[in-house]
Amino acid sequence: MSVHGCQHLSAFKAAKGTDPFRIIYSYFIACPSADARRIKAKSCVCHTCRQTTLRLHACMSCIYFGCYGAKHIHDHAKSKKHNLAIDLTYGTVICFVCEDYVYDKDLEDIARSFSQKPTLNLVGAYIKEPFSTWEPSEDEIQLLKKNPKRRKVNSNSTVGLRGLINLGNTCFMNCIVQALTHTPILRDFFLADRHTCQMPGESKQCLVCEMARLFQEFYSGACTPHIPYRLLHLVWTNARHLAGYEQQDAHEFLIAALDVLHRHCKGTNGMSCSNPHLCNCIIDQIFTGGLQSDVTCKQCNNVSTTIDPIWDISLDLGPGPPAFRFTNSPGNYEPTSLLECLKRFTRPEHLGSSAKIKCGKCHSYQESTKQLTMKKLPVVACFHLKRFEHSTGYHKKISTYVSFPEELDMTPFMSSSRNDNNGFSNQIILDIPTSLSCDNKYSLFAVVNHIGTIEVGHYTCYIRLHKDQWFKCDDHLITKATVTDVLNSEGYLLFYHKQILEYE
Amino acid sequence: KDAQMRATINQKLVETGERDRLKELLRTRLIESGWRDQLKSFCKDVVQQKGLAHVTVDDLVAEITPRGRALVPDKVKEELLQRIKMFLSQQANATSDIK
Repeated sequence: MSVHGCQHLSAFKAAKGTDPFRIIYSYFIACPSADARRIKAKSCVCHTCRQTTLRLHACMSCIYFGCYGAKHIHDHAKSKKHNLAIDLTYGTVICFVCEDYVYDKDLEDIARSFSQKPTLNLVGAYIKEPFSTWEPSEDEIQLLKKNPKRRKVNSNSTVGLRGLINLGNTCFMNCIVQALTHTPILRDFFLADRHTCQMPGESKQCLVCEMARLFQEFYSGACTPHIPYRLLHLVWTNARHLAGYEQQDAHEFLIAALDVLHRHCKGTNGMSCSNPHLCNCIIDQIFTGGLQSDVTCKQCNNVSTTIDPIWDISLDLGPGPPAFRFTNSPGNYEPTSLLECLKRFTRPEHLGSSAKIKCGKCHSYQESTKQLTMKKLPVVACFHLKRFEHSTGYHKKISTYVSFPEELDMTPFMSSSRNDNNGFSNQIILDIPTSLSCDNKYSLFAVVNHIGTIEVGHYTCYIRLHKDQWFKCDDHLITKATVTDVLNSEGYLLFYHKQILEYE
Repeated sequence: KDAQMRATINQKLVETGERDRLKELLRTRLIESGWRDQLKSFCKDVVQQKGLAHVTVDDLVAEITPRGRALVPDKVKEELLQRIKMFLSQQANATSDIK
């Protein structure tokens, strides 16, 4: 396999140059303009059988198109002794004497020049950034030559798994680190070196740089547990309320960490990102969703809508009104599944007479109903089951088992599912017509669990590697787990990521 | 008759550039779903089987095509079909407007 074509192609090039190839390519393969497309549409038929078939080939020596399957191009080649033809789908050249496709550097360069031009002015293209295979730069080629050892990542490899030493009740931090280092899109961001430090000269103070270093540690292939002392120190400096050797709340740590990462993505000076809607840092791209709150005035039915950015969804677990009846009576219903929690979260709530809101339309204080729904779904959704009761001096942990699915469809909880009668038409969601992009479906990839009581407890987590392999991370101990283990665990923080990602 | 309709539809798709758009879309979906990687590894298997010096493109096409066809995810097929239908209905509306 060489890029020097074959002797027949060389002979052809010597006689006729590369223009025949270039002309055919530009008219029928690259097709830059609407006119060219029209010509292509009319003329791309087999001259023998007048069909538009797959693998149509154009003779390089004369004007003839022939299909491959029915061997018309082969017949033409034999009868006219025109040995070379171009496949109109891919632009590859076939030599009928050699009986195979041949590759020539000059022709490949010509083909590449077409694809690099912004000729694909496909107005209204469905895909904004088409995929192109990676081509190494000179530096990268040198690096690869100097480091000949290769690691093959297949579906069994455990690259990315690494234990974390507990530095004194830091299991709450370790679990969040495990969840973040196994968030696929975050991993891709850091391993692709996409972070530019906003604190030049002070990269050691930048939490995002520290995360990048952490990813390097995790994916280095080293098996000994990592000691995240630098990370801990940075967290203490930037989130004072978490400093100290006491056990902290993993959820609080997650929010604090995301906040610091978000701030450090934008630098310590410059534009402060008080309006997260304008922020485009990787944290916001991944974790920020939009929670819509609709308040309907009972008097005039005017709906006042606000959308707040959120990084996670905190769900009540305690006894309360049941999810399936629009009632305000205090109930003793306790949800036993994530779906029930979400239904309760998004059900319309009657705000009683003690909480009258001034309506913007009829300008009077009225009773109202409030409903929360998801306006914009984040790429990674984190569900926080509120297991820790902190009400008036009474500290309690709710240890009830709450089931959660491996795959989650958020469609019923979207703002678009909310009908105009201030609430869902009924809680049994009817067959929702599948949208073109099944954009609301999520897959579970990490679960943080808390074992013990509110005074004395320990955090562990499960994380998913590849598509279906689960591992339990207990500080420095990593063990293989089954998906059943995961789904049967108590569940405190549940991490889901979207199944289909739309890149903007 | 069927073939005629196919040819007309195909022509319209090419002229309007829709075919290229759909091709890019299909390509992206197949890459996202891992189909491309799967087939790439099948190709490597075939090449190893037949020997690098002897394998031809035709060999690969013959071996890979049935597997490739079978492995296209249903969701991808549905999405493409939907888009083609939408395109055709747009075209039908366009032509009826001209009258």
